[in-house]
Formats: sequence, C-alpha cells, structure tokens
Amino acid sequence: MKKILKLSLVSVAAFALLTGCTTHKELGTTSTGAENNKYSKIDVEKVCNVKTNGIEKVIASAKQYNVIAKKKGLEFRRLTVNNTDLIISVEEAIKTKAKMVNPKTFKGKKSKTKLETNFAAHRACKFAIRALQQAEEGKTSWRLAIPGDGYKY
Amino acid sequence: MLFNIVKATTLAALVATASMAGDFNKQAEKDREGIVKYFEAKFSDPVKDKNTFFPYSTDDELKNNFIKNIKGDEFSKGGYAFSKNGRVSYDEIKEFPPTEEFVEKGEELYNKAFANGKSFKNCFPETTIAGSYPFFDEKAKKVVSLTQAVNECLTSNGEKKWNEKKGKITHLQAYFAQETADAEKRVDIKIESKEAAAAYERGKEYYFTQRGYLNLSCATCHIQGAGQRVRNESLSQGLGHTSHFPVYRLKWAAGNAANDGLGTLERRMAGCIKDAGQVPPKTSSETMKELLYFMSYLSNGLPVDGPDIRK
Repeated sequence: MKKILKLSLVSVAAFALLTGCTTHKELGTTSTGAENNKYSKIDVEKVCNVKTNGIEKVIASAKQYNVIAKKKGLEFRRLTVNNTDLIISVEEAIKTKAKMVNPKTFKGKKSKTKLETNFAAHRACKFAIRALQQAEEGKTSWRLAIPGDGYKY
Repeated sequence: MLFNIVKATTLAALVATASMAGDFNKQAEKDREGIVKYFEAKFSDPVKDKNTFFPYSTDDELKNNFIKNIKGDEFSKGGYAFSKNGRVSYDEIKEFPPTEEFVEKGEELYNKAFANGKSFKNCFPETTIAGSYPFFDEKAKKVVSLTQAVNECLTSNGEKKWNEKKGKITHLQAYFAQETADAEKRVDIKIESKEAAAAYERGKEYYFTQRGYLNLSCATCHIQGAGQRVRNESLSQGLGHTSHFPVYRLKWAAGNAANDGLGTLERRMAGCIKDAGQVPPKTSSETMKELLYFMSYLSNGLPVDGPDIRK
C-alpha cells in the first residue's frame, strides 16, 4: 500500500514538474496584489505642488521616486533630457537661486530645454511618480491591446 | 488493481508531458495568427472599413493612397505594403539600392582574419542566418540577438566590441541579411521551452504596455495606429517589422555626414521607445532582446528581405 501511495505521489509530482504546472498567463511578469497599487494611490498634483510643499520638498520627492523608476527601467526622457538630468538642473538652480533651468542631455551636452525652475521641479516630480503609476496601470491594461485577446474590433 | 491504476496514471502523465513538449509556442502562434488576421482585415478595404480602423483618415487618402487586400509576404515591406505613394518611392530607390556597398563591406569583414588568425567564419560558418535571430539559448536560458552574437564572437577572439547601433556591425549584418534573402529563407523563430515562452511573454508585455511621458505603447502606433498618419507619415504595421534589418534610413543618413545611414534593429527600437518619452533599455539588455524576440516571432514565415531602406 505504501509503495502504491509513493508511486502515486511521485507520478503526480513528476507530471506537475514536467508540465511546468502553469498556464501561459503565468508565464509573463504580470503580478497582482497590494504591491501593484503602491504608487497609484499617490496624489501627484498634491505631492508635486511647489507652492504648498516648497521646491526643496518637491525635488526631494522627484529624486526619491525617479531612483525607483530608473531602477525599473521606466525613467522618462523628454526631448533628449532624462528626468535625472532635469532633477540635477533644478537642484543646481536651488543652490544658485536661478530662475531658469537648462538641463543637460542624456549625452551630457547642453539641451534646448529651458524651463522656469518651479515648473521644472513640478515636471520632474510628476514624471518620476507617473512613470511608476503608469507601470502599475499597465499591468491590467496591456492585454486589452492584443488582437485575438483583449482587443476587439 | 491499485498498482495498475498508478501505472496508468504515470503513463498518462508521461504521454501528456510528451505531447505538451512541442507546444510551447501555442500561445505565441495564437498571438501571431490573431495579429495577422487583424492586419488582413484592416487592410482589406480601408474605405469600406473607415469607421472601424481609420476614423481620422480622409476619404481621399483612403481611396487614393491605400493598397487593398494586403496579405502574407506583402507585410514584410512595412508601411510600403499599403501606402501607394510610399511604394512608388520605395520601388524607385530599390532599383539602385544604397545598401549594396554595405553588403560588400560586410563580406570583407566576414572574411577578414582577427589578430589570432581566426575570423567570423569560425563563429558563423553558415551565413544565411538572419531569419533565425534572435533565438533562445536553452543552455544559458537567455535570448541571444545577432548583435550580441557578433560582439561575443569578437571578444572571444580577443577583439574589441563594435558599436551596437551603427558602423561595422551593420555592414556584417547586411551581408548576413543579403545572403539569407538570396537563399530565399524566411523568418524562423522558435519557442521550444517553458523559459523561451516566458521570455516571449515578457517581450509581448513590453510591446503592449504604455510607457513614457506620452503614454504610448508600441501597439498604440503599430497595431491600432498602423496605417494612420502622424503628421505626414503613415505608421507602419507591427507585422514584418524585424524582417528587413539592418536598414538604411534617409533620416539617419541625413543626420550626420559621418553617418552612413545604416542601423541595427536595436538602434531603431531604441529610437522608437525614446520617441514615446522613455529612456530606452540598453541595446543588449534582456528587456531589449526579449522585445525583439517577441517582434521577430510575429514575423515568422515572412521572407527575410534585408538590408532594406526606410525613410
């Protein structure tokens, strides 16, 4: 009897192992759970409001979230300027009390982007958080664009 | 009796496993067929299906600039598959293709000996390989792109890596592409394991996920948006996007006098992601290679027709 039980268990385990015990939906990187909504709850306009929070706090938030976005391969780039470089330009402007920023391109050259410092801080903060929120939203929306799957026409 | 049941269960499990072993591309095939079906429907009669597929296009444009009933191999021509005006220019340029000199340079590079006496022949004894990259290396459990394979060949022979986007690497790839096209080979990307299927799925998720400050996915422009205009350009369809690289782009050639205009597939992809407003993944990163793996699988069965030309 023990032998039979052992054999049954081995056969079931072997089947599960060999077939991967999975369906195609589990093959991707899609995940669910509380972690998925970690950034979506952030009120971007509130956190990135320079008037109410002060520019130092806003750029600190930008830096905090942009590091995560960069690590996840989600960092925004607008007209050759990475968000990291935009943040650096705002930090320098805070030190020098400059009213305008002119961030460097991702190649370290002078960019054509010239922005008012407070506006640049707001944008840098918004870009950093939105990159993370967008990725969370994408986890549930990407299949809706696949013809033959979620996309109907 | 019970022992017989166990034996039968074991046998059934083994049979099921064996039958599923060749089934790792089942989902990918379903995706590919769904996308082919979508594009065939989209480009069957744009005037008739205006409301479904081209709500913002003008009647004049749909009537006079769209080639109808596009099927199969035609999709490998990208936007020139459906654009009448584009096709005229394309056919004219193809009469004297600007890529010929690159193929010759590539052949020279292929035959040129490294400092250690070996050459690319030792790494790539077969030259008609353009349709089988990227492939999933079952030992390393990773996708291998042609760009990566060329550079690994160089470094393993004590040579320096080449630029992964332009220059010599594109010349060698042009030679491989031309050899493959001359042999009338077709794109043949395989998914033969659970890990390969997972890599494909990650590439697919990347392709269909909105990203960047413009909140666009690759599919926004090249699936749902294919055939629609962005300024004066018609967006090409996602089917056949990888079958003609390396590509000579007029934009690249005009951008810099030092640039010969030829670029790798990775260069084009990085440009596209950058246009969506995101920092693109590194050329030989897993993310980039898996994206190319997904896109190349979609082109399965299409003729390899590189090196080609694009605007």
